[in-house]
Amino acid sequence: MGWRKRSSSSDSTTDTSTTTTSSGSMDGGGGGGGGMGGGACYVYPDAPATPGLTNADVTYSLGIDMNIPLAMDDGNTVTMWGFSDNGGNMMGGMGGGGGGMGGGTFPSPAMRVREGDIVHTNLSVGMMMMHTVHHHGIEPEYRSDGVGHISWDVANGTYTYQWRPASAGTYFYHCHTNTVLHAEMGMYGALIVDPPEGPGRLFSGGPSYDVEAFWVVDEIDSSWHTLPWTAGTCGGDVGLNELNPDYFVITGVDGSGNSAMNLPPISATVQRGQKLLARYVCAGYHPQRIRFGGLTGKIYSSDGRPLPRPVSVTEIRACSAERYDIIFEPTSRGTYLIETDILHWVTGQVLGTTRTSVTVV
Amino acid sequence: MDRRNFLKAGGAGFATAVLGSTGLISWSPRANAATIEKTLYVTDGFITQPDGVNVYFRGFSSSSNLLNVPGEQIVVQEGDTVRIRIVNTLGRSTSFKIDGLVDSGRISGGSSRTVEFVASTPGSYLYYDARNAPYNRLVGLHGGLAIMPNGSNNQLYDGSPTFVQQYFWVFHDIDPVWHNAIRNGNTPGSRYSPRYFTLNGLSARPPGAPGAHDPTIDAMADPRSALHGHVGDRTLIRVLNPGLCHQSVHTHGNHMEWLTENGQVRDDVWSKDCIYLEGNMGKFDAIYPFEPPPDAWPPVTTGIYPMHLHTEMSQTAGGGLYMFGALTDIYFE
Repeated sequence: MGWRKRSSSSDSTTDTSTTTTSSGSMDGGGGGGGGMGGGACYVYPDAPATPGLTNADVTYSLGIDMNIPLAMDDGNTVTMWGFSDNGGNMMGGMGGGGGGMGGGTFPSPAMRVREGDIVHTNLSVGMMMMHTVHHHGIEPEYRSDGVGHISWDVANGTYTYQWRPASAGTYFYHCHTNTVLHAEMGMYGALIVDPPEGPGRLFSGGPSYDVEAFWVVDEIDSSWHTLPWTAGTCGGDVGLNELNPDYFVITGVDGSGNSAMNLPPISATVQRGQKLLARYVCAGYHPQRIRFGGLTGKIYSSDGRPLPRPVSVTEIRACSAERYDIIFEPTSRGTYLIETDILHWVTGQVLGTTRTSVTVV
Repeated sequence: MDRRNFLKAGGAGFATAVLGSTGLISWSPRANAATIEKTLYVTDGFITQPDGVNVYFRGFSSSSNLLNVPGEQIVVQEGDTVRIRIVNTLGRSTSFKIDGLVDSGRISGGSSRTVEFVASTPGSYLYYDARNAPYNRLVGLHGGLAIMPNGSNNQLYDGSPTFVQQYFWVFHDIDPVWHNAIRNGNTPGSRYSPRYFTLNGLSARPPGAPGAHDPTIDAMADPRSALHGHVGDRTLIRVLNPGLCHQSVHTHGNHMEWLTENGQVRDDVWSKDCIYLEGNMGKFDAIYPFEPPPDAWPPVTTGIYPMHLHTEMSQTAGGGLYMFGALTDIYFE
């Protein structure tokens, strides 16, 4: 059946493109090879035509950047990976695990579309590596879902993910190739679906808002950031079961000190009587607890779906990839500290905390 | 009893040891309560992990020559009398406990005990060895039990949203150093560092890997774990976590309807693509609705999607091997 996942015994593309040793280069058959940066196993390179491709209302063209410097408060620089918005340039990502052609940011460029738009995400990847785009929380046709073992890892070409969001809310997109590593390396970006009427209302029939803040909280284990994109795929202990973060970021900024305290749209300033919408994404792997510094907010939606009844909260516990949309209607002047604790997934120990602020005038 | 040689002797023996129960849970309600009798044998042995390492486990097994981790899925009806005989084939003490329902107390090595309880409250439960906590449970002595509402075959609790089929997802995380210490009768002294991650006792194998598509080896092919349904086949998933890691359970294709959290019915049913699963015996119940994937264009009703933990460290084995962890596939037939 055409939609069944590929089988190692019946799909020649998989057979020729899956290397089960760590000997280095792949044979280049089928989907065009890849993995020459040290050998990749259990990857499924291809970049075919998109089934059912039609005209898009909105198009994003993404390339790959494997060398994005992120300056930390302690003076160190950590190398991040990400998507660039120059995906039309096929040279993007040809760095073999090193350079790439630049243009990428951390987080990757935001996508903002409206409910009902037909959206194309064109991902261009060079011949030296493989990546995908999974639009997390978006539930498209399976070949536009960006999961390598079920469809393919994009290699040596451009693939168009086609999707049409049905529910307004907060999502994010991330690479789903060797996901444990690639998403930790920063290959994600915000994905906002506005209702048909556009920004200013969370969803049709839902609350309006005047000011918007983006709290995308993540942890970084810098010891992972010298690994190649293939790390661990062929076996061998490269430590991917142990995420011991030493940096804590909020929406791409070191959040452990004051760097994000007054930096819209991470921080926000609202007037009394205005409504602030905070779009919170747990972008790390360890659980998080976000505390609102004395403010009470109302969760109106989570994971891109309205709640049957809004819930009033002063803090939220979240697990990896959850999203919460919180509306604040502050009545008292002041500066409120928004702190997110990153909690060890076994012990619950606080590993680090990010900080930003909401100022009410 | 050491099954290392038995397990090494042949793949078939190993496979039988792991897959102790059938796939999809079948259930027919009864008009009257019944007495349900089971015998579980506490056994031990080694299970080979994706990187080839043999790790020691104990299990509540369905016969004395099997090693079932987790133990078999047990489904009973509200009001039933459940009588379970525990036969401890090992030289170490064990126990059988279900929080809120029954606790056998100490069952010493080489002895047997029968516990009996009334299945009083519908829901999803973990049965486990509560002795030497959490170690006996971590080393494999755990399994899932479901109590169906009286006379119902399509509800989790009276008045709950309905389903047409049901599964258990028992997630686990494994530190082989701890397992070895427990095998030797020691209390683990090292920092807990899980290296293997399983769903209903199996790790996944991506296409092309040895064991891929083998339902006795590959969690993506295990009929107890992989969801199969047509549009409209609303599927209850009873999610249990005998391990220590807090997890994020993430489905593609559809959001889940989140019904319960740690045994409590939630005030409202939220539609979620990630649900927080607490470590150390956290649990939840959710319905995977098998609705047409809502964001597909053109619209579709078939396809295949993954379920995986978004705590991505759990997608690895032995510190690498992405996709050899706790994940499975969801088939829209």
